[in-house]
Amino acid sequence: MKKRNVVIVGFMIAATSLVSFLMPVAAQQRGRGGAGAAPTPIRRAADGKPDLTGFYGADSGGANYGLEKHPADFLTPGTQGVVVDPPDGKLPYQPWARAERINRELPERGYDDPTAHCFVAGVPRSMYTPSPYQILQPPGYIVLLFERMSWRHVPLDGRAHLPDTVRLWQGDSVGHWEGDTLVVDTTNLNGKTWLNEVGDVMSYDAHIVERFTPKDGDNVTYQATVTDKIAYTAPWTIQMNLRRQQDEILEVACHEDNGDLQHLKDVRDEARTKKSGAPKP
Amino acid sequence: MKALINRTGLTGRIAALAIVTIILMAATALAHHSFTAEFDQNKPIKLSGKVTEMKWSNPHAWIYLDVTTNGKTVNWACETGGANSLIRRGWRKEDLKFGTVLNVEGWQARNGSPTANVRSITFTDGKRLFAGSSNTAVEEK
Repeated sequence: MKKRNVVIVGFMIAATSLVSFLMPVAAQQRGRGGAGAAPTPIRRAADGKPDLTGFYGADSGGANYGLEKHPADFLTPGTQGVVVDPPDGKLPYQPWARAERINRELPERGYDDPTAHCFVAGVPRSMYTPSPYQILQPPGYIVLLFERMSWRHVPLDGRAHLPDTVRLWQGDSVGHWEGDTLVVDTTNLNGKTWLNEVGDVMSYDAHIVERFTPKDGDNVTYQATVTDKIAYTAPWTIQMNLRRQQDEILEVACHEDNGDLQHLKDVRDEARTKKSGAPKP
Repeated sequence: MKALINRTGLTGRIAALAIVTIILMAATALAHHSFTAEFDQNKPIKLSGKVTEMKWSNPHAWIYLDVTTNGKTVNWACETGGANSLIRRGWRKEDLKFGTVLNVEGWQARNGSPTANVRSITFTDGKRLFAGSSNTAVEEK
């Protein structure tokens, strides 16, 4: 962005961002305390472990539009970049996977985003799609409920993972506490999910370790480390804040009246027709 | 971000706030490949019409308006954010009954059909609601 334009936009936004902060639409972005409130202490369950029960929204820096930092263009909003390892913020892609990632940004690839077909977002994408989710903490489990009628189920009894031949959309998760950090280990993914809308790549070989560390009563530091030898040359880690919030989850029946899918298919078919010169199907 | 603040002082801080605000707001918008595929950011439109139907669906909801120009009435299909994001922005079924007059601000479909992606609606009493538009380049203000 040109410096002059940044300043103009900056003045416009600054003038209204204070006002918009008070509007209901901004309420999703604020924790219970609101701006400037003192942090509340970490909530505890009866066994002394942190109590994560509640509704959350991720301060995701636009992760659902890209894990790496990039400026806005007409196709996607700008992203803050949530990759903390490698330290340069760049995902250590295998060359084939980087090429696939770039190709997925084309409008005609929108049809290939599994969530466009109402398939589940998978792991870790479910944690930063821009909708609230609920964390429940019944004895022996952590359960996450997502608006698109999907869930993650994490037993805390140290069981072994499912056999390698079983492949799941949300993967197979097993968790345990390390001090105040909930550590969730996920394998057995089916490789059918995208990491976000721009198509950051993850294969079925991914092994994900997530860490949920409460910072205070209203904020949880979330980290996910992905080891995926098929798509990447090294493990990588993303990090963001999960903010406790007022919004409860609502039903999102994506599978009903999904008008988008036909449009995305039309865009894909048109691109294919142009490429092959064949008459429209 | 740091360089911006250090180099340009106050204006840099405001610009940094602008960037952060845009990013935070973008993070709550329901973006999709479908906006640029279907709609033209360079075809902004303003419509005034009467509600004929509302589909409270996800990932996008649709509101249909009869728009009369020079005696000719055309029914426009107007896409908004998903039903859940509308609820969170104050949209209510009872405010959008058949025949309700609305002013719609948004962007037209690339193919020129009477289809639009909605940025905001304004009622005759001046109340304005944002639609959680897929056009993530535009903030809600």
